[in-house]
Amino acid sequence: MTIMLKQMGFIFNADLCVGCKACEIACKNENKTPAGVNWRRVSSTAEGVYLSLSCNHCDSPECFRICPQKAYSKRRDGIVFINNNRCDGCMDCVSACPYDAPQFDTITRKASKCIFCESRLLKGLDPACIVACSTGAIQMVNLNKGQSQGTVGMIDGFPDIRLTKPSIRFFPLQPRKRYWLQD
Amino acid sequence: MLPTDYKIFRNVCPRNCYDTCGIISYVKNGELIKVEGDPKHGYTKGRLCAKGYAYTQYVYSPDRLRYPLRQYPRGSGTWERISWEQAIEIIADKILELNKRYGSNLALAHNKFSGNLGLLHYAVEGMFNSMGEHTKTIGNACLAAGFDAISYDFGDNINPDPEDMADSKLIVIWGANPAWTAIHQLSHINAAREKGAKVVVIDPLYTPTAAKADIFVQIRPSTDSLLALGIVKILMEQDKCDNDFIRDHTWGWEPFSSYVKEKISISLVREVTGITEEVIFELASLYGSTKPCANWVGFGLQRSMNGGQNTRAINALVGVTGNIGRKGGGLYYFNPTPNYFPQSLLNHPSPESRQPREVDINRFADDILSLANPPVKMLWVASRNPLSQDQNLARWQELLESLELVVTVDLFMTRTAEMSDLVLPATSTFENDDVNVGYWHYWLAINQKAIEPLYEAKSDLEIARILTRKLNELSPGFSDFPYELTDEDWISKEFTPKVLEIYGLANWEELKDGPRKCSGNKIPWEDRRFKTKTGKFELYSRDAKENELPAISTYNQPRNDIYPLRLLSPQHRNRLHSQYDFVPWLNDEHFDILKMNQKDARQRGIEEGDTVCIYNEAGLLSKKIKLSPYIPLGVVVASQGGLKPINSLMFDLPADMGMKESGSRGLAINDVYVECKKQVK
Repeated sequence: MTIMLKQMGFIFNADLCVGCKACEIACKNENKTPAGVNWRRVSSTAEGVYLSLSCNHCDSPECFRICPQKAYSKRRDGIVFINNNRCDGCMDCVSACPYDAPQFDTITRKASKCIFCESRLLKGLDPACIVACSTGAIQMVNLNKGQSQGTVGMIDGFPDIRLTKPSIRFFPLQPRKRYWLQD
Repeated sequence: MLPTDYKIFRNVCPRNCYDTCGIISYVKNGELIKVEGDPKHGYTKGRLCAKGYAYTQYVYSPDRLRYPLRQYPRGSGTWERISWEQAIEIIADKILELNKRYGSNLALAHNKFSGNLGLLHYAVEGMFNSMGEHTKTIGNACLAAGFDAISYDFGDNINPDPEDMADSKLIVIWGANPAWTAIHQLSHINAAREKGAKVVVIDPLYTPTAAKADIFVQIRPSTDSLLALGIVKILMEQDKCDNDFIRDHTWGWEPFSSYVKEKISISLVREVTGITEEVIFELASLYGSTKPCANWVGFGLQRSMNGGQNTRAINALVGVTGNIGRKGGGLYYFNPTPNYFPQSLLNHPSPESRQPREVDINRFADDILSLANPPVKMLWVASRNPLSQDQNLARWQELLESLELVVTVDLFMTRTAEMSDLVLPATSTFENDDVNVGYWHYWLAINQKAIEPLYEAKSDLEIARILTRKLNELSPGFSDFPYELTDEDWISKEFTPKVLEIYGLANWEELKDGPRKCSGNKIPWEDRRFKTKTGKFELYSRDAKENELPAISTYNQPRNDIYPLRLLSPQHRNRLHSQYDFVPWLNDEHFDILKMNQKDARQRGIEEGDTVCIYNEAGLLSKKIKLSPYIPLGVVVASQGGLKPINSLMFDLPADMGMKESGSRGLAINDVYVECKKQVK
């Protein structure tokens, strides 16, 4: 296995995310994906607990392994890239990815996914989702540089990570005081 | 991908929202291709909310109204495209005919509110004022009770700078949900937390904001006044009040303190609010030991028959703990910055002898129907969707039947547009010039016309121009609207020397380089010179007493209702009232739901996913049930807007206050009760 110069990834702070979906729609504003094709998705895993996920640019990407058209590539910076011209819409990647990263467009009949706002990175800009977040819940890191102190690999609601080695780390929820109504 | 051959414009989101965000628009070949937050806007700091990031879809929605449309018969769904010339002629003919019939313009009414808060959108009011007497709406559908409460105690409504919340040690959010309604405030709140501040949320609902608070205290709806007074009582007993502030700067401490001592018991507070004594003491301990403390009064808790009292009790708590006029402390509600501007269109004067008659926006249908000599025969709706967002919708049906012409100006075929004779397509904020000033933060920004109006859309100001011009053509001197003035002329009228000075501007064109912040009044009441008649912060208000309200903030028992479930309808993340119904990116979940506690559901034989019929004296509608243990017993929660507006169940229930500042009482929509039954197929 080649050693990546870089492994771009995300840090998601569950303690800061309020589920406002600015990241999800900012991604659509940037990448012009149609309704229903969401390269980033915010879901609620429990009352008041949210998870914002895009492609996790896995170390062992299952989409890359499984695609019969070899539309996927793993770049030297760790970003998992998809070449849309090669996609024939078989949807193998859509069912293989544990994180629903490849999204199938029923109009174009092709899969597409987050490519880390590659063109923004080239201009020195952060991905649209990160810029949009008012609480700083999404951050970008080079995981090969050890920029993830204090994080954990797994939080509730995130699919099993052993298979694909996703490039995402988490800050978990902090305990809080909750006083419910006494009925 | 970032385009390389685009033009950049500055826009502002004109919604009725705390944040009034600065937007950078990217335009390529005349098309709005992308929006970003304006990094030069010091409050919104280059970020938008989900709704803001969806603006390209909003602007180019296939559901946008394209041309003037005429419907006959009204409500039939039989629409015909007509030209602007035809539309304006129909309207002008009707206005002149009504004038001839009744000898005045009082048969004309408008219903306009906050769909677009740009200063140039007050062209609607200006247009009607220019015709002399007419029937205009007064009052405030949103904030009236809270306004009065603050006015009684402080003498004026002024917010501290919300950016200063970053300097708080304790932030107490009483019934607001900035996670979904003021997302940018979270960065200032989190900045305080990073320095060790604690965040407390007091709310009947476990909102996303509550879920992130250090301490969440669930409270029975609209009982906040008792909790605040209970905390004051504990602080008095523990001698933790700010005695210097009380001695030097408050009015009525004696009667107030004996009232609290004698009438407020912690067991009563516990019983009514549903909060344990332990928690009440914990809150008192935080208030007693942590300064500065910022307090945010959300709009929901004053939309109640106890709304003004709720706000006054929180005011009192903020006062006796010495948090007024202190950086990082104070009471947050609303900032009246728009009033710094002349608002020339809104205030375009009618001749002295031809003043309009007024109807209450919160009792609109009833009030209009009660008018005679002459009755109202023509209604103009703009920046509003009353058939989704007003109350007493059954009365609205009667009102519509009595009208001869209903004109609605909107971007979309709203519930109200569907029931109009004429629908005129409005521009989005990207298609017209404007000036926008926040009512929460201290920033001012210019909104540039970034793209040409889509199809045949026109701004409220342009419509005012062509209609008044036509009226004067047909009947010289009918209107004194200065239709020769351009958008820029109107913008420059807003920038008086005083306005230029407080925003540090040489001329308004400087705003093209970025938004500006207001320099004055950052820490209201720092000088402790309150604007009440006594010059003090009033714990006892003679003005309130004169207006037949309690002089000291108190708690009103809730009304006895024959229906058992209190209906709350807070803002949803993907909507602002009924706006954004037509944006696919924001329609990814089911909105037509009613949330209910499992216990309440079980009692009624209702299960998750059931369709239920919700009803009360105002109306009836059906929604799907979503069960949640986080919803308090006896409370149901629905979103606003959509095809089945929840306001079908709202009626004209007045809040306790509102007359003083808004000329009409607020609405107690959070005191509306309903019953639910499972629908049998």
